[in-house]
Amino acid sequence: MTKEWIKVFFAAFFEVFWVIGLKHADGPWEWTGTAIAIAISFYALIAAGNKLPVGTVYAVFVGLGTAGTVLSEILFFGEPIKAAKLVLILVLLIGVIGLKLVTDETEGERS
Amino acid sequence: MSWFYLILAGIFEMTGVAMINSLHKNKNWQSFVLMAAGFGASFLFLALAMETLPMGTAYAIWTGIGASGGAILGMLLYGESKDWKRIACIAIVLGAAVGLKLVS
Repeated sequence: MTKEWIKVFFAAFFEVFWVIGLKHADGPWEWTGTAIAIAISFYALIAAGNKLPVGTVYAVFVGLGTAGTVLSEILFFGEPIKAAKLVLILVLLIGVIGLKLVTDETEGERS
Repeated sequence: MSWFYLILAGIFEMTGVAMINSLHKNKNWQSFVLMAAGFGASFLFLALAMETLPMGTAYAIWTGIGASGGAILGMLLYGESKDWKRIACIAIVLGAAVGLKLVS
């Protein structure tokens, strides 16, 4: 099951690139990179939905993508660090871990 | 009008997510085309909504409608688990994501 979850994390990782690309890309190379990141990210997203429940996969994809984008904006684009952001990222990660535990449990029951 | 665009964008995103399910179940090209069209239309209407609405608000509402709607459709139409623990975790993740988009 872990292999399937890696696909979700992979999709979210590339989501961060294209969200930043859509906002900051300038010139043909950066736009090409953004388009490639969108393609990789959606390919991994769809592949992960083959074994894992799609609702779960999409929630984790959106959640981790958002957390990654917020962190990148702080680290690389000089956005201010706010306590609220860090708390929400922590809550989000707890939810993702919870989803992984719950999903593995129900998948185990089925097989 | 921009709120109408935003809700429409959310509904198209829901459709896109549901079509990922349909794609794996039916394995046909119609699902793939509908999925691509759903996400495409979703981005288009999101962009239209963002012309007048603040970006953080628009993004947060779009995510909220699309991802929670996609999860609900998955449970209603595609037999995904209705376990309360799963629903609670999805709500935590999406709630935090919406919050993040509102504060940043």
